[in-house]
Amino acid sequence: MMRRTRRGIVFGVVLTALLAGCSAISQSPSVPPKHPEELGGWTQVDCRECHSDISTGALKPYASFRHSTTFVRNHGLYSRQGQNLCQGCHGPSFCQGCHARKEELRPNTRMGDRPDLALPHRGDYLVQHQLDGRMDPGSCFRCHGNKDNARCRACHR
Amino acid sequence: MSVLRGRLYPRGLSVCFSSVGIILFLLPALLPTLSHAADITLSSRTYLLHYERDAAGASERFTPLYEYLSGDAHGLGGKAISFHFYGWGRQDFGDETGSGKTAGELGSAYLQYLHPTGNAEARLGRFFLTEGVAAEIIDGVFLKSRIAYGMGVSVFGGVPAEATITSTKTGDSIFGGRVFYARPGYAEVGVSYLQEKGEFQGNDRKEIGGDLWLRPFGPVELIGRATYNNATSALAFQRYLVRLAPVASVDLSVGYEAYKYKDYFQAALNPAFLFPSIDNTDRVRTVFAVLDWEVVKSVTVTLGAKSIKHDAATIGDATRGELGMKYAYNNNRDAAGLSAAVVDADRDENAYREYRGYATCSPAKWRFALDALTQQYKQAISGTKNAYHVVGSAGYQLFEILRLSGDLTYTKSPRFDKDYAGLVRASLSFGSSTGGKK
Repeated sequence: MMRRTRRGIVFGVVLTALLAGCSAISQSPSVPPKHPEELGGWTQVDCRECHSDISTGALKPYASFRHSTTFVRNHGLYSRQGQNLCQGCHGPSFCQGCHARKEELRPNTRMGDRPDLALPHRGDYLVQHQLDGRMDPGSCFRCHGNKDNARCRACHR
Repeated sequence: MSVLRGRLYPRGLSVCFSSVGIILFLLPALLPTLSHAADITLSSRTYLLHYERDAAGASERFTPLYEYLSGDAHGLGGKAISFHFYGWGRQDFGDETGSGKTAGELGSAYLQYLHPTGNAEARLGRFFLTEGVAAEIIDGVFLKSRIAYGMGVSVFGGVPAEATITSTKTGDSIFGGRVFYARPGYAEVGVSYLQEKGEFQGNDRKEIGGDLWLRPFGPVELIGRATYNNATSALAFQRYLVRLAPVASVDLSVGYEAYKYKDYFQAALNPAFLFPSIDNTDRVRTVFAVLDWEVVKSVTVTLGAKSIKHDAATIGDATRGELGMKYAYNNNRDAAGLSAAVVDADRDENAYREYRGYATCSPAKWRFALDALTQQYKQAISGTKNAYHVVGSAGYQLFEILRLSGDLTYTKSPRFDKDYAGLVRASLSFGSSTGGKK
């Protein structure tokens, strides 16, 4: 009975959204699908070099997206409110360079020529993860908790 | 030659039939319109690795070849519809690196419609979604739009990509959505829900999330999120951050994070996060701060601290302090950095010091990089107190679309007396338009 009710609610919401269609959509401009100019340079780009205002799509100041250490370590808080602004510069598959499901090659192995990037798991991390896992397993869980990781299962039975 | 003190383990290998199904489903729709796509980009990254391992007296040589392929086609049929895909595959030319000679994964393959207003979008296929409480790869549909009075709504539903391991008899499913309010430049507040039908410690996964971004005045920003686990009826996770930027060159943040193992890890499919691997009665509370300061143009200093406290009197309490500096040069094409971190822990087995230095140099079409890392453990691990890891890289832009590079890695650690690994990398990128990808 509960299941039917839930399905009914979901169906109703989707149907209402579809029926309302474009007329219900806000008229404020969206984030462009791609940044209109090629972004030069190898190291991080600072949006504030060109933008001093608020993103019409993300509705946040561009200053919020300055790729400082704070932003990089907390980018998940921002992306959970919308991915479109990120994708405009980084491309749709950028996130999955790290947030993959069955990844075998570590990001810092693939990008060994980019030591300037804040990539996780440098060094012999199979050793280091024992320490990090004991102290703050939640930091591991975000990426590795809900994954089909046979390599983890080999030890953590 | 390397010595491995641990064991070598097989890696999982599975075939995503559902992914193939998505591609077959989408292809007929795409083929007529791809020729009309105004903007197509393709990226290929090929990696050939070589390393050796000595385990149980036998020597094994591994030579896996990895291919990562991604593509984006915008403006399909002259409309605001795009197609995106990303995936990788492995072929072993030496001993098996996993449970078979080959492996692979389709990470994403989906159609996307981006409406010109309201940040409205629709996705269909396999995609990585971050929306409120959700951070998932799903085979399904996603709809989102801002509507009137600053309100917005999103819904998603489909099959979770990890369905191959939850394996309920009646099949897995995932659905959810988010309702949010946004005031440009000042606030965005959202409430979200996610339900995943699967085998999660005898329950489905049911999570209610709250997310918050506030900029009450000028340089102050408050951002956070919390997750209530409806399956265990408890607040599972929360993370809040106050971010201050009093001047353009300073970014200071102070944050708090807390989670309970039993509630946060209830949805874990990885046994590393479940009893008996961990004490599931424990709770972690973390306080952290980071100062990012561009002291002069192109020179940034980072100062960080983190305190971790566990409720259970087992192991894990620790304090981490770190100091780093980064210098960008050569018109931002290159950078050099130094960093040091000290972890003081309640048990010596968790305490260590870490030092790292790196530099890159990109004269003309060449690129060189050197990265050195060392960790000094307070208590020896497998009889070793110091670990070293050095990566040297050299690359050359052969053509505008093709870059070749190679890495040589040296490792000395509790697992390796001495290890050398080689990697050859070919990066191929071409497209019919400019802009976008970084």
